[in-house]
Amino acid sequence: MTNEQIAKMTLTAGAATLVAAGAVAQTNSAEVNKAFETLKTYDWGADRATLNPIDHAIIATHSDAVARQALEKKLVDALAGGLSRSAQDYVCRKLRVVGTSQSVDALAALLTDEKTSHIARYALERMPGAEAIAAMRDALPKVGGKLRAGVIGSLGVRRDEASVAAIAAFLGDPDKDVARAAAQALAMIGTPAAADALSEFAKTAPADMKVPVADARLLCAEQLLADGAKSEALALYKALNGSDQPPQVRVAAIKGMLAASTKK
Amino acid sequence: MAEQKSKPTQDRGMSAGRRAFLKATAASVAFPYVIPASALGNTGTTAPSNRIVMAGIGIGNMGSGDLGSFLGRDDVQYVAVCDVKRDVREGAVNRVNQKYNNRDCKAYRDFREVMVRDDIDAVHCATPDHWHAIIVIEACRNGKDIYCQKPETKTLREGKLMIDAARRYNRVVSGGSQRVLEDYRQAVDACWSGSKGAVRSINVNVGPFPTDCNKPAEPIPDGFDWDMWLGPAPWAPYHPHRCSGSYSIDGTSWRSFRDYSGGGMTDWGAHHFGGATFAMDVREMEPEEVIFHNENGRKFATCRFPNGKLLHHNYPGRGNLDVEFAGDPIPSKPVPGYAGTGGIYGDFIDCVKTRRRPFRDIEYAVHTANVCHLFLAAYELERSLKWDTARQQFVNDDEANRLVDVARREPWVI
Repeated sequence: MTNEQIAKMTLTAGAATLVAAGAVAQTNSAEVNKAFETLKTYDWGADRATLNPIDHAIIATHSDAVARQALEKKLVDALAGGLSRSAQDYVCRKLRVVGTSQSVDALAALLTDEKTSHIARYALERMPGAEAIAAMRDALPKVGGKLRAGVIGSLGVRRDEASVAAIAAFLGDPDKDVARAAAQALAMIGTPAAADALSEFAKTAPADMKVPVADARLLCAEQLLADGAKSEALALYKALNGSDQPPQVRVAAIKGMLAASTKK
Repeated sequence: MAEQKSKPTQDRGMSAGRRAFLKATAASVAFPYVIPASALGNTGTTAPSNRIVMAGIGIGNMGSGDLGSFLGRDDVQYVAVCDVKRDVREGAVNRVNQKYNNRDCKAYRDFREVMVRDDIDAVHCATPDHWHAIIVIEACRNGKDIYCQKPETKTLREGKLMIDAARRYNRVVSGGSQRVLEDYRQAVDACWSGSKGAVRSINVNVGPFPTDCNKPAEPIPDGFDWDMWLGPAPWAPYHPHRCSGSYSIDGTSWRSFRDYSGGGMTDWGAHHFGGATFAMDVREMEPEEVIFHNENGRKFATCRFPNGKLLHHNYPGRGNLDVEFAGDPIPSKPVPGYAGTGGIYGDFIDCVKTRRRPFRDIEYAVHTANVCHLFLAAYELERSLKWDTARQQFVNDDEANRLVDVARREPWVI
């Protein structure tokens, strides 16, 4: 390594340190700390602008993992400290952008509460990593009613194959919102196992579930086809081209069969 | 989204009984659908049996205007209206029944009850934006065509799902910006004429950005289903400014707030960016990059399309719909327009009959909305982003990809 290269590296490292120091300083600035203090008493009707320093700190720490982690911890600590619903809402919105595995336990604790379940999913549903999915999977047997539909939907969006059996069990749920969410989630997961569960349920589906289940099977077939499972997709399409299906479903099935037969 | 898509083709369906035709149009069969003269009433008006049977969902404010535009047509028959506000839906039912001098129109609070009615061919949707994707997809899966107000989506993920649903079920799905064709004609004609050369860039000035709403709780008005109004959006207490359907974007209507709208960036952006992408003839494309600029604190951004054309937002010193041309004159192209008569509403109804794709086909409408959402993402994160149109993901940016969609409040799933 030449002296010039070393000097360049030193300068680069120094600049990075300065940037990091700046970001940490911003994370711990008086304005940011004041905003976190405000959060403790923040509620509906409060001036949203008082929290802006936290928003700015999120942008400022984008390229600084240490500062970002520190900021995330502050948000998690705030959440654990007991906040109003409005403040919880704010923190979860921020964790949607910056949350990592460090946030999962705090968010998971909110999943079973009717008032906070959705806003916890707001952060978890799009958070990279297996921990976020596992938290929602673990919450599924602990929630009921509408919350169950929500958790099922998020697991579907994440295409969680490990949840297929648990979700399939809700296809016949008397709560139609839950049953529809289960069908939709299985469609998004789109594996052969999900297709089998939908096809099995279709045999005995009540009248008001026929269209949601047919729609789910069509979506599932598209997913299978995209993933290369051509024969499984074709089987679904063929099953949906029966005289017992609504016209729009049969049209979709015929189009699907054509697509499957021409896919390489 | 499926690669850089080909331009929407002019699908036609088989001639058959009207309802069977509308519900079962097969893409592989191509015959024009024409209402025979013998099916018209003696007065020259369309016989009731050949009218497009419609329902309206979200019928206050803009929805009321849409209802009036469709209701004025003699080839349309409204049989249902749906709104979460009792006074709005009762007013609309009376308006429809007075028009037809009968009592056939039914009122609904829950759109899902409308969608399962077999006698309805098409619906118009003018709810707040956070409902659009759910309602459009539900219409398609139930075999109904739909006219949806702009901006058609609230998130990037919703767009592909809506296009897929429309194509899967062969439905006519029209976006709702009449201004795209009607308001920017000078710029469109200048660009499509080719006389000034190729378009290098267009600038759009529009805003403001959406904000979070933290309004305090107020009593929910009698007859207002607040939970249904919120729908897939995060729970929040009722406040009249939170849900007002007025056209303001100043914090006194839902159009101002992030949970229900993209603010002026999507509300007016759907018009302006729609006009700009039409003028640039990039309606069938999505940008592959959004470049964030911060020049001494002055922030603006640029979307770059795969063919190199640039769409600026708030570019310093340039006016709205300002076009930058380059090079020698190029051959002119005929400017596409509406089918049928009666503007964008007539275009939709004509396409319901003929199974053609409408001027504001959902694919074009989604592309415009995606321009708005891409700009919003870049401004929110204050950095440039690359967009993979095939995967509908930002490239190598996990943080940006979190902005592609939002988790929906239970029980809503798409």
